[in-house]
Amino acid sequence: MAHIVLDKVTKSYAGGVTAVDAVDLEIRDGELMVLLGPSGCGKSTTLRMIAGLETISSGDLYIDGERVNEKDPRDRDLAIVFQNYALYPHMNVARNLGFGLKLRRVPPAEIERRVQETARMLGIEALLKRRPAQLSGGQRQRVALGRALVRQPRGFLLDEPLSNLDAQLRTTMRLELIKLHRQLGATIIHVTHDQLEAMTMGERICIMDGGKVVQVGPPADVYRNPASLFVAGFLASPPMNLLPAAVVGSDGGGLAVRVGATTLPLPEEYLQAYAGCRDRSVVLGVRPEDLHEAAPALPQITVAANAVEMVGPEVILVGTPEGLETEASARLSRAFRAEPGDRISLGVDMRQIHLFDPATGLAVPRPDLGFEPHRR
Amino acid sequence: MSALFAPTLAARDRRFGYAMAAPAIVVLAAIILAPVALALATSLFDYTLMNMTFDRFIGFDNFVAALSSSEFANSMVVTTLFVIAVVALEFVIGFVVALMLTTVKRGKNIYYLILLIPLLINPVVVGLIWRMLLHPTLGIVNWLLGGIGVPDIDWLGHPGTAFWTVVLVDIWHQVSFMAVLLTAGLSALPTEPYEAARAEGAGTLQTFWYITLPLMKPVIAVTLLIRLIFAIKTYDLIYIMTRGGPGDATDLISYYIYRSAFARLNLGEAAAMAILLMVIVIVLTLALFRTMRARG
Amino acid sequence: MRVNMLLAATALVAVPMLAHGQTISILMESVPDTRFVQEVVPQFTEATGIEVDIEVVNYAEMHAKLVPQLVAPEGSYDVIVVDFYWVGEFIKAGWLQPLDDRIAESGFDTSVYVPVLFDLVGQVDGTTYMLPFYNYAMGLTYRKDLLEDPENQAAFEARYGMPLRVPETWEEYKNQVAFFTDREAGFYGVVNQGLRPDPIAMEWSNYLFANGGQFHDENWNPTLTTPEAVQALEDYKMMISEYGPVGAASFGFDEAFNVAAQGQAYSYLTYNMFRTAYDDPEISAVVGKMELAPVPNGGLNGAWGWAIPVSSPDPDAAWQFLQWIESPEIARQRAMLGGSPTRFDVFDDPELNATYPYYPALRALLDTAHNFPVFTYTPELVDIMGRELSLAVVGDKTSEEALAAIQEEFTELARRDGKIE
Ligand SMILES: Nc1ncnc2c1ncn2[C@@H]1O[C@H](COP(=O)(O)OP(=O)(O)OP(=O)(O)O)[C@@H](O)[C@H]1O
Ligand SMILES: [Mg+2]
Repeated sequence: MAHIVLDKVTKSYAGGVTAVDAVDLEIRDGELMVLLGPSGCGKSTTLRMIAGLETISSGDLYIDGERVNEKDPRDRDLAIVFQNYALYPHMNVARNLGFGLKLRRVPPAEIERRVQETARMLGIEALLKRRPAQLSGGQRQRVALGRALVRQPRGFLLDEPLSNLDAQLRTTMRLELIKLHRQLGATIIHVTHDQLEAMTMGERICIMDGGKVVQVGPPADVYRNPASLFVAGFLASPPMNLLPAAVVGSDGGGLAVRVGATTLPLPEEYLQAYAGCRDRSVVLGVRPEDLHEAAPALPQITVAANAVEMVGPEVILVGTPEGLETEASARLSRAFRAEPGDRISLGVDMRQIHLFDPATGLAVPRPDLGFEPHRR
Repeated sequence: MSALFAPTLAARDRRFGYAMAAPAIVVLAAIILAPVALALATSLFDYTLMNMTFDRFIGFDNFVAALSSSEFANSMVVTTLFVIAVVALEFVIGFVVALMLTTVKRGKNIYYLILLIPLLINPVVVGLIWRMLLHPTLGIVNWLLGGIGVPDIDWLGHPGTAFWTVVLVDIWHQVSFMAVLLTAGLSALPTEPYEAARAEGAGTLQTFWYITLPLMKPVIAVTLLIRLIFAIKTYDLIYIMTRGGPGDATDLISYYIYRSAFARLNLGEAAAMAILLMVIVIVLTLALFRTMRARG
Repeated sequence: MRVNMLLAATALVAVPMLAHGQTISILMESVPDTRFVQEVVPQFTEATGIEVDIEVVNYAEMHAKLVPQLVAPEGSYDVIVVDFYWVGEFIKAGWLQPLDDRIAESGFDTSVYVPVLFDLVGQVDGTTYMLPFYNYAMGLTYRKDLLEDPENQAAFEARYGMPLRVPETWEEYKNQVAFFTDREAGFYGVVNQGLRPDPIAMEWSNYLFANGGQFHDENWNPTLTTPEAVQALEDYKMMISEYGPVGAASFGFDEAFNVAAQGQAYSYLTYNMFRTAYDDPEISAVVGKMELAPVPNGGLNGAWGWAIPVSSPDPDAAWQFLQWIESPEIARQRAMLGGSPTRFDVFDDPELNATYPYYPALRALLDTAHNFPVFTYTPELVDIMGRELSLAVVGDKTSEEALAAIQEEFTELARRDGKIE
């Protein structure tokens, strides 16, 4: 299996577009790495450079220690699932699946067996005789995925392979991929812009923005400690609330965060880390799940309710904190009820907040206390 | 209720469809069917340039006369060989040129222009130019060949040579047609399957065989068909270069039909032969499309 | 064609109303004699106020352009020119107006025309349909300088026991061809025009006459399987294969002419109007060296005639034009420009004889010329001859087989035309 290293890999197109900007990234042998980022951030381009379909403008790409910048795709032995599927329009599904094997001179009986197996796994046995034009988007995507899976390459490059599937199928396929990854121990680079997918699948996720890598790490780490305002605002849905605030001194020598009309004391554990922020404006990051109704033990913030969304297991309250223009959302228990305009007092789990420097957008480092049940 | 409504609605839709298509159908009929009908009528009468009336109905006599004429038989054989030779050779050369053109990055338009030049020349002029170039004693071709020790070639004065000379000149003239059409077809192909094939490890030949060729099938079919039909209609080149000679080595069917009409003034028989030719072309067209679809 | 006729008809309804009696249209072939006509017509317009619109096209297009206009009730051409080839067809189809009444009425003198031409493109079965326009009778063009070279003369006489002179017999000519051929040096005794159908058919006709053969007897019974005809074809094959340049079997008259004009051939049996072209330094390397002589025993006649089609929109103006263009003065002017003469008054003109010293030869050529069979199916006969002669030349058929085929089809055509039973 493959160990892939990107060293300052850059792709610039004619006309001054730098799609991928000096990306350093290491994908360990047998690792499932998720590339996550907004549209146009360079995910596909990165993947295509790894596959060998796009030349590398500068920097080096190593697979298993060997520099492969100039190597032909066929010699890299990586299977790719294209974002646009790229099926062979003139071949039926079975031939689409088997083509790569045929090129490798696998005996027909063996091809047939593996095609059947893959088709069964993907639930497309009934479609084997159809042409791509006769398939739905989701079915095509499964064929595209199957085309990669049917081979046993050194690694898989999956460019949003699940984007067009319905929610249920997507969940199943996600699990299938994870299972496959465990079984084969294959190296997988999985591109997505679905954070849920990223969170559940990736051993590590790599968040990209504007052609650059902004944070790499296990999903939980990235979730708990977003390195920047971008990551904080991008990951999770609804994302972290980011509110303009200032750090002020409080009675008894402590520190507090002033957000609009509210002043929230910082926990002792953070005093040292945030001491440098005293008397400066910051951005307060607090996740919606860290705002709690009826939690009198926590510091309180009052918000004017704008909307209350029932989403099944929980209720999302969107409201404007007192003295602010910016909206914030809170994930509350499904029993919660409120009308727009109601003033609601919410407890803030201050151990989970982050402060960001508004000038650089970077998080101000602080100790990680881990998740623990908040004290109500 | 809806079951009751559906047929009338469908009928009304259909009627509306016919009404919309009617003008086009009428025009098409007038432009295409009328001449064909006229030719068909002509073929059934003793209709000559001197007696341009439909007053002597002779049934299929014209067809019988054509089919029992050894000159007609000869020209059918010559035409068949000619068509196979030019279409096959032009297709192979044209495809190679087209493939080379698609890899050209810069100055593509210049290549196109060069390619198009022969196509833009009137076939009569092409024939005249080549007759001049191929003049056995005064032409530049034999002069150049003489420079490397090749004795004068009798390009048009010997039956076997003349046939291939006409084929070569036709290739010179028409190969760009294939090249341009195939280039257009190639550049219209989706790029994704190529990337997929590359990623799956296909080499150049495999890509050509498994991706390009099948994807090009419709374009190839149409290109071959058009070229085939035009090749069957080749007339000017023969008129200018050989007049069907020497002997009857290059007596193509279209030139023979022309002579039947204008030298022998027998429009009826010429029309009969034209109808036979049309039937052959239609059969070929259908056969070609059927095989293309069957294999696709 | 129908559509054309319709369009032409509607166009012509409009045009004569605007320009009745003021414009006449003529379809002509792009040849030197047409150019000479174009040069003189302004005088006609000046004298009569009638504009002359001359449409010039290639020979290949002429027939196809003419026929639709001729069958229309009113065509677009007031005057046409007719190749002798088409005469039978046009007369049979009834497309040409008889001119006898007009000739009598205006006292036009037709006796000035060389009879062999007037028979070809003037009268048909006693009725005058055309006035001869120009002749293209075929003659022998040969290298006068080589013929008159004393060394050649001595060598020739030594070898053949006969003098080297303008050939008076076919035998003499054949010996000369053999004598002058030097394949090593790239010089040929003769260059032939073996292209199908008319170049070979026309050229071979000369061989037929030279061997004493004929196309048919007095009763139109074809005589193409005679020993003379076979000998003529054997001669023809021999000329191409033994004494001619590579490729002569496919030469049209222009290619054959070029070989002669580049000084690579001793002789070329061709249309007399090429005689002047040899003296054009632009296209000839043998200026002043070629001369014209009659084919021994007489060569093939050929000519174009003026005619007024039945479909002529304005036959009166058309006749006015014919009378003028064939008047002695204008005929002389055209001849002076290089036109190929058809009339005694032109042939006898001292000034013209001084300018064109080959006039006596041309006259002799016409006096001895034979006509091609003129009947309804002339073009078809030419086509058949072209095919069969060419097959014989390339060796696909023997001379006897080819001639038998021609004989058979010619007989059938003559029968179809009512010439024989
Ligand atoms: N051929 C090209 N020429 C110029 N710019 C290009 C080219 N291909 C891609 N780009 C640019 O490169 C950037 C990265 O594109 P890429 O396809 O990698 O984005 P992505 O992260 O995959 O986006 P998405 O999630 O929408 O698929 C984009 O801004 C795109 O416009
Ligand atoms: Mg993408």
